[in-house]
Amino acid sequence: MRGLMLVLLVGVSLSAYDAEHLKKALEEKECIECDLRGANLSKIDFSGSDFHGSDLSYADLRGSVFEMGDFNDANLSGAKAEGTVFWKASLERSDLRGIHAKGANFKGTHLKQSNLSKADIRNAKIWKADFTDAILKKTDLQGSEIGGSKFIRNDLRFTKMKNTLLWETHFSDVIMNQIQCQHAVKEEAILDENVTCR
Amino acid sequence: MKTLFLSCLVVLSLWGGTIQNDEQFKTAVASMGSADKLVLMIYTTDDCPECAYMKRKVFHEKTVERYLSQNFVVIEKNIHKSKLPDGYDYFGIPTMFFIDKAGNKKETIIGSKRAQPFLSELHHIRGIK
Repeated sequence: MRGLMLVLLVGVSLSAYDAEHLKKALEEKECIECDLRGANLSKIDFSGSDFHGSDLSYADLRGSVFEMGDFNDANLSGAKAEGTVFWKASLERSDLRGIHAKGANFKGTHLKQSNLSKADIRNAKIWKADFTDAILKKTDLQGSEIGGSKFIRNDLRFTKMKNTLLWETHFSDVIMNQIQCQHAVKEEAILDENVTCR
Repeated sequence: MKTLFLSCLVVLSLWGGTIQNDEQFKTAVASMGSADKLVLMIYTTDDCPECAYMKRKVFHEKTVERYLSQNFVVIEKNIHKSKLPDGYDYFGIPTMFFIDKAGNKKETIIGSKRAQPFLSELHHIRGIK
């Protein structure tokens, strides 16, 4: 009984969005520093929207388009974003821990200083993204296309990168394991002299 | 009158015309002679790494290059610099259109592919009657 109560409480807290904030987001395609935890924002065109500083943790973003959206300093941890389009969106300093973004489009995104720990970003399109200073611990990037992207000052040793496309991906001042380094070279990535292969 | 004339000029400059009237397409078809090939028309931009990957890497992978040269004629249109033919809209770059000699669109591929899946697609498209 106590266990059931706990599960229910956790469930309620994950989807405790502010109804007024959700209304504003849907009507104006903009909601700054809003509480949208667990909100349903699926299958909507939010191109050019501004959600910076908002809490979208565990929100449902599947099938939506956030082309050139602003998610700087936003929390998208645990959000459902399979197949979501973030084309050229800005996600700097955002919390993307555990986001479910398999098959999503992150082309041209700005991910500086974002936290992508345990994020599921398999089979995604991530061409020309900027991962400078991003945290990628246990991030799953298997099968994704990361060509032309930029990794600067990252520890990638625990990032899953099997079958990732790394053509002309730029690595500078990063730490990778031996397998990743071999894969990167084979894929014609650009590794500068500050890359550490351990 | 001057405004009307200017409006007409603007409309005409945006109008790409039919694929059959496209100079690059006509040249591609002429280059085929009697060979039964398809035109692969790829839409690109200058700042598109995916486009560069297809053009510089995938198209030149040994097996892809051989199959392409035997069965296709490739033409490129930079969407910011070229007039685009009517009926060939795009939703992403690169977009590849496969067109027969008569100007019928047979298939469209959006985005890049690695060499082997791309080669499989080419085989599939070549098989479409």
